Amino acid sequence: MEAFCQEAQTTSSMAAELALEGSQPVDLVKHPSGIIPTLQNVVSTVNMDCKLELKTIALHARNAEYNPKRFAAVIMRIREPKTTALIFASGKMVCTGAKSEQQSKLAARKYARIIQKLGFPAQFKDFKIQNIVASCDVKFPIRLEGLAYAHGHFSSYEPELFPGLIYRMKQPKIVLLIFVSGKIVLTGAKVRDEIYEAFENIYPVLSEFRKVQQWYAHLPSLALG
Amino acid sequence: MGSYELYRKSSIGMSLTDALDELVTNGTISPLLAVKVLMQFDKSMNEALQQRVKSKTTFKGHLHTYRFCDNVWTFILENALFKTDNEIQHVDRVKIVACDAKIISR
Repeated sequence: MEAFCQEAQTTSSMAAELALEGSQPVDLVKHPSGIIPTLQNVVSTVNMDCKLELKTIALHARNAEYNPKRFAAVIMRIREPKTTALIFASGKMVCTGAKSEQQSKLAARKYARIIQKLGFPAQFKDFKIQNIVASCDVKFPIRLEGLAYAHGHFSSYEPELFPGLIYRMKQPKIVLLIFVSGKIVLTGAKVRDEIYEAFENIYPVLSEFRKVQQWYAHLPSLALG
Repeated sequence: MGSYELYRKSSIGMSLTDALDELVTNGTISPLLAVKVLMQFDKSMNEALQQRVKSKTTFKGHLHTYRFCDNVWTFILENALFKTDNEIQHVDRVKIVACDAKIISR
């Protein structure tokens, strides 16, 4: 009864992929800043197009939670790709946590397969990436107040509420969280190129509002160098 | 107020059930009384574990599988270590079933 979602650990292939990414030179035409934001979370949806008995799923699938008093979906997890799925009685499913679009689709397929193995006629309809979140580090501090003032139309900076500046870019329509440290979070993308485009748009602005550290000026040799 | 019938499957519960079966079969007690005794056993076991047992154990291991359904957590741990006051016990695979004590007493 419990022989589902037993997937092989393919961590070694993942490691190889990462190493490859590191050794590839950055395509400066696509990424003039020389920095490529790293995808951190991909959220996708799919319609399995069949009514589901959530209690049956919770009782027979592994790594499932079902508490109808709290939330009307089964929460299920798999280890490879490491993701979480919300499975609704309507047959619709949300898959979160994947690190790439392909991984998100692969994970969604695995969940649909688990549902099929439990005896439901699950299909795989209308798969869609709903959101992509990425992050990166420009490795210099940023004057958020100056940025917020100059780009008042797009910025919201309330340090007493949240330490980051919220930048709502219009084209592409991406939200950026910009922190003093130079760490950036980009979200709201449907395709990864929107993330890259938004980052290349903001990078010159970040450079403009780079915080010059005061102690630097007192060291003439460094300042000249 | 009901209690979980979880402990009827423990060795003490099984022994009690066997003894009651025998008494019912040879006509010493009525089946109704046997059922009442078992219900009292459920209650007493829960009380005893809540109030009288003072010993504690901690455990950790690799979580192979978990499930939450009908307010019951089920965990399968691999390579688990159980630590009591003066003893460490290693288990290759262990299944843990956890029920919410508050839900049934309400």
